[in-house]
Amino acid sequence: MIRSFSFHLKKELKNHLFDYLLLITAGIFFLILLNIFRGQRVTEFIILVAFALFYIIWGVYHHIANETLHLKTVVEYILIAFIIIFLLKIIILP
Amino acid sequence: MEKVKIFIHRLLIPHEENNFRAKSLHADFLTVYLVIAFLMMMVFKQANLHNVLGFATDISIDKLYQLTNEQRQKNNLPTLSLNSALSLAAQRKAENMLTENYWSHYSPDGKTPWDFILGANYKYEYAGENLAKNFLFSNGVVDAWMNSETHRTNILKKEYTEVGYAIVNGTLNGEQTTLVVQMFGTPIAGSFSPPPVQAEEISKNSLLLPTAKPIAENKVRQILAQKTVQPNMSAFKFTFNFNIIFMAFLLLALALDFYFASKFNIIRVGGKNIAHFLFIIFILVGLFMSTIGTIV
Repeated sequence: MIRSFSFHLKKELKNHLFDYLLLITAGIFFLILLNIFRGQRVTEFIILVAFALFYIIWGVYHHIANETLHLKTVVEYILIAFIIIFLLKIIILP
Repeated sequence: MEKVKIFIHRLLIPHEENNFRAKSLHADFLTVYLVIAFLMMMVFKQANLHNVLGFATDISIDKLYQLTNEQRQKNNLPTLSLNSALSLAAQRKAENMLTENYWSHYSPDGKTPWDFILGANYKYEYAGENLAKNFLFSNGVVDAWMNSETHRTNILKKEYTEVGYAIVNGTLNGEQTTLVVQMFGTPIAGSFSPPPVQAEEISKNSLLLPTAKPIAENKVRQILAQKTVQPNMSAFKFTFNFNIIFMAFLLLALALDFYFASKFNIIRVGGKNIAHFLFIIFILVGLFMSTIGTIV
């Protein structure tokens, strides 16, 4: 099962290498910025929101590029991004 | 049992009965999660999870004291007793760092930790100080101290017999932070020192404290007041753990959905599971990073 999972994962990453590299790069920047501004709660929250917004934009861009954009898809990215923002706001900026 | 099995199958595995997408990742389920997250955010805001400065940490004096003594016991050293004068010195040191805006053992105007200890009327033979800031949990603070040679030496110094703590929130160099000050000491034999106060006694009502000289009683009360700066710690810990469990559940659902959809070549309208997966992984790493503070 793990081998099969890894095979499908590699296939997906390979097919959209640039898009995923873009998302991973943004994720690494997110972690670096969090580390730089560690302890500055407002800034940490702004960085989190910026990353979540980037993730929504990335989703829209990726699906436009693949001609699979649908309202349902955009809603899914928005919902996941905002669930995370609300949950982390309790911890970062109560 | 069969019903539970069917429910979990629908919840996590894509097939015709859930429109070839794990039910837990459907827009309606995601909306429910969003509403729950929003309600939690509002409830915790109303319940005053944070203190006046908008901070939530799960650092407590009792826990720091317990963890410090556990480390000493592991190294076959006698446990330290909690001393109100050392706690007062720690409190004054933390407040001084916030007032004079510095993060060091020595203040810009030359005040040393020993000045604060002597200022609290604690005549010492040996004394030491550990500082920490920006941690979310007590064990994170003690672990960081134990991983640093100088702080570890303080915690495991056999000469020390007493310890005092302060946990103070404030703004340091424009950064809202939680400062933790740990002061160690060994009183000079025969000198006046407020009686040691055990952790259990401190957690009780101040009326239950042993009768002591008025000056010592006042100090104990100040320490009790200072402890109230950290409200609803279990609520904070609950939220933190809830976040971790919820994100782990989402990761599991995304991984299973991706695996079975790929395996059965299911083509459907929806977001990319790998992207959601990566996003949540980065968020989780960021969340763990935020629990790590700094020590001097």
